[in-house]
Formats: sequence, C-alpha cells, structure tokens
Amino acid sequence: MTVAIETRGLTKRFGGLVAVDKVDLRADAGETLGIIGVNGAGKTTLMNCICGLYRPDDGDVFVAGERVTGQPPHVVAHRGIGRTFQIPRVFRKMSLIDNLLVPVLDRKAHDAELIEQAEAMLERMQLIDLRHNHAEELSGGQQKLLEMARMLMPDPPIVMLDEPFAGVHPVLCKFMIDRIEETARAGKAVLLISHDLTSIYRLSSRVIALNQGRIIAEGGVDDIRGNPAVIEAYLGT
Amino acid sequence: MASPSRAPDSADRIYFTLTALMGGVLLIYFASVPLLGLNVAFHFYLMLWITMASAFNVASGFAGYMPFGYVAFYGIGAFTTAILVKKAAFPVFLALPLSGVAGIVLALLFAPTLRLSGIYFGIVSLALAGICRLVITNMPEEITGGSFGLQLGSRAHPVQSFYVMMAVMVVALAVILWLSRSRLGKALRATRDDADAAEMMGVNVPIVRLWGWLISAFFPAVCGGVEAWYTNVVDTETAFNTLITAKTVIYAVAGGLGTVTGPVLGAVAMVWLDELIWRQFPLLNLLILGLATIVLVLFLPRGIVGTLLRKKPQWRRYIP
Amino acid sequence: MELLILNGLVNGLIVGGIYALVGVSLTLLYGVLRVVNFAHGEFVIAGSFLAFVLFTSFGIPPLLAVPIAAVVFFIAGWGLYYVLIPRLARSDDPELMSFLMFYGVSIAAAALMLLLFEADSRTIDYTFTPVSVQVGPIYVSTARLVAFAITVVVSIALALFLFKTLPGKALRAAIMNPEAIQIMGVDIVRLSAFAFALASALAGVTGVLIALVFPAFNPFSGAEYTIIAFIVVVLGGLGNPVGALLAGVLFGLAEQMATVFLPQAMAQIVGFLILVGTIFFRPSGILGVRFKR
Repeated sequence: MTVAIETRGLTKRFGGLVAVDKVDLRADAGETLGIIGVNGAGKTTLMNCICGLYRPDDGDVFVAGERVTGQPPHVVAHRGIGRTFQIPRVFRKMSLIDNLLVPVLDRKAHDAELIEQAEAMLERMQLIDLRHNHAEELSGGQQKLLEMARMLMPDPPIVMLDEPFAGVHPVLCKFMIDRIEETARAGKAVLLISHDLTSIYRLSSRVIALNQGRIIAEGGVDDIRGNPAVIEAYLGT
Repeated sequence: MASPSRAPDSADRIYFTLTALMGGVLLIYFASVPLLGLNVAFHFYLMLWITMASAFNVASGFAGYMPFGYVAFYGIGAFTTAILVKKAAFPVFLALPLSGVAGIVLALLFAPTLRLSGIYFGIVSLALAGICRLVITNMPEEITGGSFGLQLGSRAHPVQSFYVMMAVMVVALAVILWLSRSRLGKALRATRDDADAAEMMGVNVPIVRLWGWLISAFFPAVCGGVEAWYTNVVDTETAFNTLITAKTVIYAVAGGLGTVTGPVLGAVAMVWLDELIWRQFPLLNLLILGLATIVLVLFLPRGIVGTLLRKKPQWRRYIP
Repeated sequence: MELLILNGLVNGLIVGGIYALVGVSLTLLYGVLRVVNFAHGEFVIAGSFLAFVLFTSFGIPPLLAVPIAAVVFFIAGWGLYYVLIPRLARSDDPELMSFLMFYGVSIAAAALMLLLFEADSRTIDYTFTPVSVQVGPIYVSTARLVAFAITVVVSIALALFLFKTLPGKALRAAIMNPEAIQIMGVDIVRLSAFAFALASALAGVTGVLIALVFPAFNPFSGAEYTIIAFIVVVLGGLGNPVGALLAGVLFGLAEQMATVFLPQAMAQIVGFLILVGTIFFRPSGILGVRFKR
C-alpha cells in the first residue's frame, strides 16, 4: 500500500483557540479514513489546512510523499486532492457541465473530449438530464451530487468529503454511499468527515476521532465504537 | 449515450448562426452610417457605449466586480492620446494603442484592489478614480493643459475616427465573444460565483482575475483615446466625469450582465432612449437617467437579456 | 503658525462634528439595512436647500429650520423606504444593487435640485449677533459655534437613544445580528423603515448645519459629501455608529490640518488616500471592531 496523504503535527490556531492540535493522520490508496467528532472538534479546519485554504501554524502535509504545506489551494488541487463542502459550494450561475469543467480547465485535452467526460460523470450521478441547467436550480441533495461529480472529474488520487450526508434524504444517502464505496474501490484515498457515526462506521476501514482539535482515538471501527474517550466526547459530561 | 453527445452540436449550430447573424447586421449597419449620410455623431457614441458597456461586463458580469471608478481607465486613455498627439507629436494611430497600454498599466497599479470584494471594491475603485482625476488636474499645465484641457489641433477626422471606433468595438466584441466560450471565461465565472471553491478546484484565482481585469481596462482606455481624437479636446471635468461610469454601468445592467448580447442591447436601447429624451426634454435628461436607473434596478435587475434567459433557461445555449 | 494650527484644530473640530453626523447616518443605514446610500450627499444638500427656502421665502431662521428639517426628512425617508427597499431586497445581490440604485437616486436628486434651484451656489444670508466670538486667541464665527453646539446635542441624543432606549437597542441588535432579531419577534421591516427615516432626518439636519458652517452649496455639492460620508463610515468601521462619530471628528481634524500644511488639491487627495488605506490595512475601521462580517 502506498501512503496517499499524510499530515505530521498539523496545527492551526485562531487567536487563542487551537482549532487543530498536532494532528498526525495517514491514508493509503484505496482506503477510507473516517474522521469523526462533534461540531467544533476541528474537522473542517483540518480539511481546510490540508487543501491549502488555511496556512497551518505548524506541521506539514504530504501528498504522495511530497510536502505541499503552504502551497496555495490551486496548486494543492493539482497535486491531486479533490473535496466537497459541508454546505454545497457549487458555481451557482454556471451550467452543470461547466461546473464539472472547472477542475480540468488546465488539461491539454480537447474541449469536446472533456465535455464528453463531464457528461459521463453526470450520467453516473444521475444528473444528466439537468446538464444545461444552472447549478442554483438544483435541490440541496442534487447540489451535493454535483459537488461529488466535480470532485471526481479530474480523477484525483485523494478525495475529501465534508459531511456528505448532512441534510440528504435516505434514498439519496444510499446512492451516495454506493458512490463513495466505488471511489475507494477505484483506488483513491478517501477522507470522510462526519459527525454521523453510522455512515462512518459503515464506510471506513479506519477512523480517527477528534475532540477540541486533538486526536483522542484512532483505530479500526470496532476499536472506536467501544472507546470510552469517544463516548465521553459525544455524550459529554 | 448517443443523444447527449449529439445535442450540443445542434445547439452550437444555432448559437453560431445567431452570432453570425447579429454580428453581420451590426457590422453592415454601422459600416453604412457615413455612406448613407446618417447621423455620424450619434452612431459614434452608440458604438462607444456598446464598447464601454461590453468591456465593463467583463469586470462585472464575468468576474463579479463593480468598479464604480471605471471612468479612470477612460480618462487616462483620453489624456494619453491627447498628450502624445499634442505634446509629443505622435501620429494618432500610434497614440491610440498606447492609450490602451496606459489603461493596462493603470489596471496593473490597481490590481491589489482585486482581493477586495463587494462594496469595499466599489468604494475603493471610486476613490482611486477620484485620485486619478485630482492628480491629472494638478499636473503642470504644460503637460495636461490644466483646467482648460488640451486642444488636439486640426487633426480631427470625424469619418476616420468613426471607422476606428467601429474597429475598436468589433475587436472588443470579438474578444468578449471568445472569452464567453473560453476556458478563461469559465474560470472567471467560477471565481465570481465562489472564489475559494474555484481555487480549491485548481483555478489560479489571482491570475484569472487579473486577466479579466486587464481586458476590462484596455477597451475603455482606447475608447477615451478615440473620443479625444473625435472631439479634438480633452479636459479633466469631462474625461473623468462620474457620469461616464454611471452610463456604462446602467447600460450594461439594462441589457443584462454576464451575457455578450446583454450590454450591446442595453447600450442600443438606452442610448436611443437617451437621445429621444434629450431631444424632447433637454432639461429633464439627467433626471430621467437617474429615474431610469432606479426603475431598472427595482423592476429589471437582471436586464433585458438576463430576464429573458431566466424565463427561458433552455435559450442560454443559443444566445451568446 | 501656532495660531494657524489652533485655528485648524477648532475648525477641524467643528467641521469634524458635521462629518461625524454625515457618517453616522450613512452607517446606520448600512448597518441596519445593508444598503449603500450613494445618494447620501444629495440627501444632506437637500437639507441645506430646505433651510435656504425656509429662510429666503418664509423668513424662518436656520435654528428653527433644524427641527423642521428633522420632521420633513423623517417623513420623506419613511415614505422613500417603502418605495425603494422592499423590492430591492428581492434581487440577487441586494447589497451591490443598492449601490447602483442609489447611484440613480443620486443622479435624479441632483438633477431635481438643479431644476429647482439652478446651478448657482447658494448662501443663507443669516447672521448671528455678534458675528464672531473670541475663543482664546482666535475668533470663530457664531454660526459655526451654534452649528457645533447642535452637532454635540444631536450626537449625545443619538447615543442616548441607541444605548438607553428600547428601539435604539433594537437598532443596534439589528446591526449586529439581523437574523436573530427577527426570531426575537421584532418587526424587521418597521425597524428598517424607522432606521431609514432616522438616517434621512439626520441627513436633513446635517444639511441645515452645513448651510451654517460652509460658505456655499449647490446641487452638485452632494457628491463631495457622499465621498466624505464613505471615508467616515469606512474609517469608523462599516455599520458602527460610535466609530463613525469618532471617525468624523478625526477626519475633520485631519482635513483641516491638511489644508494648513498642504495645497488644497493635496488635501483632497489625502481624504481619498485615507479611504483606500483604511480599507486595505484596517478594514474593520479605527476601533477595530466589526459589527458584522
């Protein structure tokens, strides 16, 4: 197994608050790493540090063994990290096809070829009939699917999903779970963030639990499920 | 799978046919104005405003900025041509492209403002235009002619400058037409909709924005130069008049930001309306311009083309 | 030289008081409604013209024009709110579109004043007795002192209103968190209309004071005051009334001192530079607190 993504001692402070505190994580190709934690545990901040939106105060991020710390987000993206957002951030006034073309604009391939790929991807996400609509005309759940399609479009070796199931109805949820499993099977490293334990336990091969920016537990699903520190963080005192 | 890959072709055919048709009509109409003895002045300004509104659209409709000091580029272009022709005896045809260069230089100077957004950007742009005006007004009289302005002398050629203005308009529209289909255009739109997300999807946001900004600054600067040549006189009061920004913005919004046809249609409709009102009620002209703006924002905020496309989303692929 | 500086300080304080009022009304509008009133300067100058008409046509002295302007502008503002704002809120980007709409209001208002009063500069030929008062080693015109006194009274009244009364507290709450205040059961539309009316009334009163303090005004003076209002509002932090009061005085002092040491044109550029510099280096204003965003 090759290590696709790794962080060492990653730390981010906002004023006095340490949002991410010396986080070491590692995900291999084809592996799904679940990241759990209550609201404010630092999950999204961790993700933003990894993809370069925030500059970490300390520590490093490695993609396929190469250090990308401090690189601007577009450079990190081209190194092969795709992501989605907790609240969908689609390009609202662009067609679905154009949304999917954005991450591959630097590719040498012909426009027609890229459009064909985009249509295939939309087909896979069951959005093909809406391909000429503007993204803002989609429902919340469809926007989540669009984001996932956009994330997968450049075929990145690492994908990060931020709360993919939040506010999504059960049928769509099942559909998304299948797509995520497919993605991992295709050999990508998947970082899956959620505060919803059921879906995480189902999809992840390993899980880390964050609390107040720090890793409080790490291991297989069964280790985490029974971990007293995790239970305490979730149920509070 | 067959239908989705074939469908865009027919849509593209309609798109290109429409574009060629509209472009052809525009071209033939304007080209024949001096030949048929139509009002050259009116059509000169019509083309000027089409160019201004279209170029403004790149900054606003494509890139998502509201440069309320847009007149700065126009003014700098006007003075560049005037000074080069009058003081350095440059031929006009060399001075005009240099006006465009001056606009680009100014845009590069203002480039740091691109990290601002919304009203902050608008206010700063306004202030910078004010600074430009004051700096030029207070430059030594030997250079800028002080408050009297500069007379270009007997170098005016109305018909020649009319066709130059037409060439500038055609180039501007061609560039914007290209932009609207290009990868740069898609990157710009993505940046406008959500800059952070675009950046995380691999778009080099600062560079993309800068390109949009430079395109948007080049054409008004050239327009300023051509107008200076056409009217033969330049002074700070008119070259940096905020009404120039106002008209540009209003015409572009009236047609609909973000489409190629929008600002063209907006400029045609509003300039024509303006002329009509001006002829009937010269005193009320300014008042009606103001009221028209209010009505436009309140009742047609997406402009003519924008509203149409909202009603008929499937037409988006046919209309440039 | 010392006399000049002292003069600059006193006049800076007086002019600054006016700027503070211009700014505080604009910032109230932005804070509560999230609209950028590009026509604010025209509102102010309309107040000056009201004072002018009241005096020349009806012989009403400027001091009495203050409460009249407050009432007239309050009512006008209330009405204007319902004409302009509710529809505006429906557009894609109300904040930016408000800028554009008020651009139109500004053009229309200036044009209207031009039609009514023509382009000539106007002055109110009203004099206090004595014409000027000795303050330490320098003389200050009584009109300016009176205007300053009114500025202080209005500012204190406004501060008391915002911090001590229930509607005032509601306004501040709306600036800080418009969503929460609606959940609390406050009628945001009425509150916004009230804010618009209050800001207009303040603008009208400021206009009367401007007629007292500055030698002349014309239909196109509005643009200057709009810019000044922007400078003050940005300097004080967008939507921060206390910041705007402070920033107004500060900017008045800076501007008057600049005219002592610099040529006129440079002094104007200084104003623009302060605006640009603040946005770049201290976007939350001098107090460093952002009410929102």
